[in-house]
Amino acid sequence: MRTYFKSIKFRDAGTLIGLILISIVFALMSPVFLTAPNLLNILQQSSINACIALGMTLVIISGGIDLSVGPVAALTAILGAAMLVAGVPIPLAIFGALAAGVVCGFVNGALIAWGGLQPFIVTLGGLSLYRALALIYTGGQPIFGLPDGFRALTNGTFLDVPTPVIIVASLAVVAWVILNKTPLGEYFMAIGGNPEAARIAGVPVVLTKLAAYMISGFMAAVAAMILIGRLGAAEPTMGTLWELDAIAASAIGGASLMGGRGSIPGTLIGCIILGTLRNGLTLLNVQAFYQLLATGIIIIVAMLIDKFASGVGGGKQG
Amino acid sequence: MPPRLSLTDVQKTFGLTKVLHGVALTVQPGEVHGLLGENGAGKSTLLNILCGVLTCDSGQIAIDGAAVHIASPRDATTAGIAMIHQELQQVPELTVTQNIFLGHALRRGIFVDRARQEAEAKRLLSALDPAIDVTAPIRSLRVAQRQIVEIAKALRGNAKIIAMDEPTSSLTPAEFEKLVAVIAKLSAQGVSVIYVSHKMDEVFRVCQTATILRDGRLIAQVPIPATPVSDVIELMVGRELAKSTHQSHATNRTLLKVIGLSRGRAVQDATFDLRAGEVLGIAGLVGSGRTELMRLIAGVDRADTGHIEVAGAVIPAGPRARITAGLGLVPEERKRDGIIRHRPVTSNTGLPAMRRFSRLGVIRRAMLRAKTEDLMRQVNLRPLDVARPIGSFSGGNQQKAIIGRWLAAGTQIFLFDEPTRGIDVGAKAEIYDLIERLAAEGKAVLFVSSELPEVIRLADRVLVMREGKISATLGPDQITEAHIARHAIPST
Repeated sequence: MRTYFKSIKFRDAGTLIGLILISIVFALMSPVFLTAPNLLNILQQSSINACIALGMTLVIISGGIDLSVGPVAALTAILGAAMLVAGVPIPLAIFGALAAGVVCGFVNGALIAWGGLQPFIVTLGGLSLYRALALIYTGGQPIFGLPDGFRALTNGTFLDVPTPVIIVASLAVVAWVILNKTPLGEYFMAIGGNPEAARIAGVPVVLTKLAAYMISGFMAAVAAMILIGRLGAAEPTMGTLWELDAIAASAIGGASLMGGRGSIPGTLIGCIILGTLRNGLTLLNVQAFYQLLATGIIIIVAMLIDKFASGVGGGKQG
Repeated sequence: MPPRLSLTDVQKTFGLTKVLHGVALTVQPGEVHGLLGENGAGKSTLLNILCGVLTCDSGQIAIDGAAVHIASPRDATTAGIAMIHQELQQVPELTVTQNIFLGHALRRGIFVDRARQEAEAKRLLSALDPAIDVTAPIRSLRVAQRQIVEIAKALRGNAKIIAMDEPTSSLTPAEFEKLVAVIAKLSAQGVSVIYVSHKMDEVFRVCQTATILRDGRLIAQVPIPATPVSDVIELMVGRELAKSTHQSHATNRTLLKVIGLSRGRAVQDATFDLRAGEVLGIAGLVGSGRTELMRLIAGVDRADTGHIEVAGAVIPAGPRARITAGLGLVPEERKRDGIIRHRPVTSNTGLPAMRRFSRLGVIRRAMLRAKTEDLMRQVNLRPLDVARPIGSFSGGNQQKAIIGRWLAAGTQIFLFDEPTRGIDVGAKAEIYDLIERLAAEGKAVLFVSSELPEVIRLADRVLVMREGKISATLGPDQITEAHIARHAIPST
């Protein structure tokens, strides 16, 4: 495994260097940037995207894509909030919302794995479908008045670290273990790398795909719980364009949209890069339009570096 | 007169692996020069350096005595070097003419001068194969004709050196004869040809000289056909290939029963038994249903009717159920159906047996690595580095890893579809030894092969397929080329 891990780590090290370079620039330009509260702030602001991106990374590695994460988050947020407001006990409401996320993922996965439909199209359909369900259920209105007991879960800190960061970091460890230490992780890599070869080698392709989308749905629901906990309300329109941030973070972190390759640490660093960029540019009072521009440039630059770096030492051996 | 092409002291390193150790190659004008070596010997790397896909770390390239610097495919084209790849790089929807002039259109003003292009394409092809219609789309041509078009394209670019990488891998014997004639014409025009092939009979037909590489080193440059074939092979593999005689290990214990297996017209009512320790060959023409039958048995495709039994129990469809029952398929198309390119050897060999290598749902990497290394030592994987991505190994070594996959899974019934397709002589002999060892251990082996010497060497019994049906079962004393051919060829 040594060389293999070396090559993955090599890629992750590259992403980390990118993050450090961006941080140095901001640290030189803003005295506030390199303070503990601001850095924790970046982590916290990145945590929701990271949560989504973890699931997205597993889906991308398995050769798919999940465009429906934002609407799944909105739908589960609405369901969770409705249950909480109706007085359902907090653990039960959270469980219900997370289960709803898993069900949404299952529907996506079933259409893809059993139905043989293309992931892009299925989850594009899901993108509209789940959003529509959230809007229909609420009539387009937000749900206010979430109980304080629930809000305390995501608004507190543990050893000065905001709880959302702790939650997402724990989930990242779980995702890393799944990807690198379990047969399921090998199956994700295998079906993303070569689905037909994986099938002939006895990989349970259908179950593996289902698992990827169910995990993605679960992570979307977790992100939804964090967000409504912080806002104290659930809106049917929340989560718009989340899928793009998550895909961007995965790609910056080294996930190949062709499947078969990607890394959990890489994705996390990718999320922090995007979060740092937003934070730093806001500190420098850069207009939102230019922030968007910077994000776009970073994504493209990351892909260009990737392209050139993978060209070095590559090539077929004879 | 200086040589047409001279490469001296070419060195190339990939990462930590040195793949070329000061290789030299000298080709005379009009010479047909064989480039021989096992997979992994460095032939592809050398060709890629020559045609600008890779750059060498050090070394000199000279054409007609003048040093040239080749840093890109464009440089190679300018220097007069063209390469006919094994997998032809053409646009199937475009016409012959359009492919020949791809990227180098003849123009009149800003427009493409189609008439002049077609006339020029006709002129180029008239010397090679006048039967090719220059207005036909490439996809309507046979592979052999496409190859000729590729050669015409090289001549259009005034190539002085044409390198052909395994040009006959998908040609019929008749088409090969045509290629021999074309190569003779090229040679007569003073074009030098570098001919890469594993097939000794071809090399001895077309080449005048051969350069032999082994493990990235220049071993010898020998005259052909003056040098005996056995000497050439020995130089390639670095050892004498033992001539082994066939020995049967077949027992009376039936392991696999195939009963009435059918799928469309491809496979019709296939019924036979396979016993422990037996090596059963399936012969027949390409398209006779051999691969389809293997896929049905392996559960990769679903049968319309019929079933299989292992040790008396009916086995449900699907690759997983079949693998659990002790079957394992080594597919013909290694890249498409066999390997997960970017994953290390460990992940590729461990794939069907990941659960076996896990405890409480967590893979025991050290155990997986140790087991894989052990198996790969047995099959002589080179280099023995199981952490490397499988895609970085040569075809023969990839095949060893895929066979190792089923050894790791404890497979009892091995299904090989063209086990030595695209594999060099050395690795071929190793795979034969491996198949014989499996049989000696009491495993059952079913293999499809288009190479009759292979069938004759390995099989205890042979099923001959013709148009989807098993047309004959040949016992030990009936396995001859004549018998197989008689049952394989459709009576018209």
